[in-house]
Amino acid sequence: MRAGVAPRPLVRARPLTRAAIVLGSGGLVLLGALIVGIGLGSVAIAPDDVLRVLGHRLLGIGASSSVSDALETIVIDLRLPRVLGAMVVGAGLACAGTVFQAILRNPMADPYIIGTAAGASLGATIGIVLPLLLPALAIGAGSAWLGLGVVQLLAFAGGMGTVLLVIVVARNGGRLPSVTLLLTGYAVSSLLAAGVALLMFASGRALAAIFAWLMGSLAAVGWIDLVVVTPVVAGVFVVLLARWRNLNLLLLGDGPAAHLGLDVGREKLRLTMLATLATSATVAISGTIGFVGLVVPHLLRLVVGPDHRLLLPASALFGATLLVMADLGARLAGGIPVGVVTAFVGAPFLLWLLRRSRRVSTSMAI
Amino acid sequence: MTPRRSSRVLLLGIVGLLASCAPGPSTSASFEPSTSPSAIPASTPSQSAAADYPLTVTDDAEREVTIPAEPERIVSLAPSNTEIVCALDACDRLVGVTDFDDYPAEVAEVDRVVTMAEVDVEAVVAAEPDLVLAAGNELTPSAVIEQLTDLGLVVLVLYPESLAEVTGDIELVGTALGQGEEAAALVDDMESRIAAVEAAVAGIERPRTFYEVSVFEGTIYTAGQGSFLASLIDTAGGMPVTGDALSTSIEIEELVAADPQLILLGDATYDPTITPESVAARPGWETMTAVADDRVEVVTEDVVITRPGPRIVDGLEALAGAIHPDAFAE
Repeated sequence: MRAGVAPRPLVRARPLTRAAIVLGSGGLVLLGALIVGIGLGSVAIAPDDVLRVLGHRLLGIGASSSVSDALETIVIDLRLPRVLGAMVVGAGLACAGTVFQAILRNPMADPYIIGTAAGASLGATIGIVLPLLLPALAIGAGSAWLGLGVVQLLAFAGGMGTVLLVIVVARNGGRLPSVTLLLTGYAVSSLLAAGVALLMFASGRALAAIFAWLMGSLAAVGWIDLVVVTPVVAGVFVVLLARWRNLNLLLLGDGPAAHLGLDVGREKLRLTMLATLATSATVAISGTIGFVGLVVPHLLRLVVGPDHRLLLPASALFGATLLVMADLGARLAGGIPVGVVTAFVGAPFLLWLLRRSRRVSTSMAI
Repeated sequence: MTPRRSSRVLLLGIVGLLASCAPGPSTSASFEPSTSPSAIPASTPSQSAAADYPLTVTDDAEREVTIPAEPERIVSLAPSNTEIVCALDACDRLVGVTDFDDYPAEVAEVDRVVTMAEVDVEAVVAAEPDLVLAAGNELTPSAVIEQLTDLGLVVLVLYPESLAEVTGDIELVGTALGQGEEAAALVDDMESRIAAVEAAVAGIERPRTFYEVSVFEGTIYTAGQGSFLASLIDTAGGMPVTGDALSTSIEIEELVAADPQLILLGDATYDPTITPESVAARPGWETMTAVADDRVEVVTEDVVITRPGPRIVDGLEALAGAIHPDAFAE
């Protein structure tokens, strides 16, 4: 963007104490959610045993002999990566949702809205079905045909590629009009969704695997997934946060933002690609988990206001907390889809906030 | 139960249904009682079984699985696997089963590690199994099989796609459990009963047989082409009416054109409102020969017909009896 014009924050900077309170309490709540998420599960493990395993394996304190190998496996290789995965995915989706709502100035915008979900779904579906149709593609006899990473890579590539395509189609000179972007995303999504449906029809024995992927789940998140995805989400978050002024400017609309010196078309392109990067990376390891990316930014906007300097980190913290708790609920309820829990928890909360907030009309007008 | 949850259960049930009826690889089309690739010769002596460990077997997913010692703690991720273990006198070694398990009665005491078709991996690990019997064809999701294997568990995938592969799997599990003799005796018994059915229906005219798995929102589910169910109907002396190769459903137009001479209502096992009268009242069905000839039959043995365990022979006999009542008159 052009230097020279230093846009002032649209919203008068709130006292630092308010930000500190919001982020500090958000961090504490997330920490609590992590502890509860690791402590509870479908198998009851005494808190002191959990602490003993964590202390031994992570910090090298104490002996492991007092805890059985099975419990150690459950805590270290099942719960810990799953809970951390929920945290990363939740934070990534909430950030991406915040950004898309700002770019598109549309309250219905979520991280999937311009084609990420449809593209990732088609990629994953191809990854699941293709080895069935062409057995030579099955990777490793041991891991059957759901070869390590193939589905994830294709889901990631599908999400990124679809958004690139949408942008190329929607671009009009240097501009990227929101309405065109939305409609193009909708059209491309519909096309890809038809492809997914066709593949599902022809998938035979892989149907259940496709179905499970589309529902979204954190059950299969392992350490490798975390090592790959966490830096991506963290990096995107830092870059987005550094662009908080531009995000705030975009809330004014393309015209006013341009008058204030923002290269609107280019900035929208950058932000869209950043948010899509985070979305595609998280979707690759979790499937399409709905609702978090839509509702968390709204919730936080009602609480902390539309200033992205505070809204982005608060959304990330709360998105992470919501998904950690929702995934715990899903696990405790016998493995129901996590998206169902996020909706059950998040929707009533949003309704309550909407009823309660007198600032709704202004703060929702993004 | 919330509407969403119940619809998911329904959906999962349908997906499971589809998966279980989906056409298998073309190689499975043969159902001669020849041994399947995974079958271990029944003559394997079990007396010296203790000395055989660690032993390496090949499962139905073509995975080489090494079993380090005689399994004492077994988790079964499918009712058919549970039935095989129990039929081999090893029911007391089960430490985890599914919430669909209903046979034999003593499995009611065993912990559930699969709920609503969802494998609870934590519960499986907590059961500390030395052998996990998974199901193929995504009935146990391959991601879960991978996860369990990565955690160091010994996982054997069973997915029989024909009668011969059921007996092959029984022998495979017998070998894995050190119950080879029990397996050989069970397989002998099953094979002689299969042979008896084959002999009884040999040379008799084979009616075009439509087996109704379920009807949901106007979609009619039946045996897929080349599926286990289709091969079972064939062995029982019927000509299976199936849909497209890709699908386990059949269009009503195709069904009318195929004109089944016999309609078997497997779904009547679970839904008493499905009767020959209700079927005759469905639009388009009255033109079928089976309806005109009054050969629409309620089948109450759907569980054993569609569950590829030791009781599959009961299912075969029930099918054969329904298709050829005269040949099995007494």
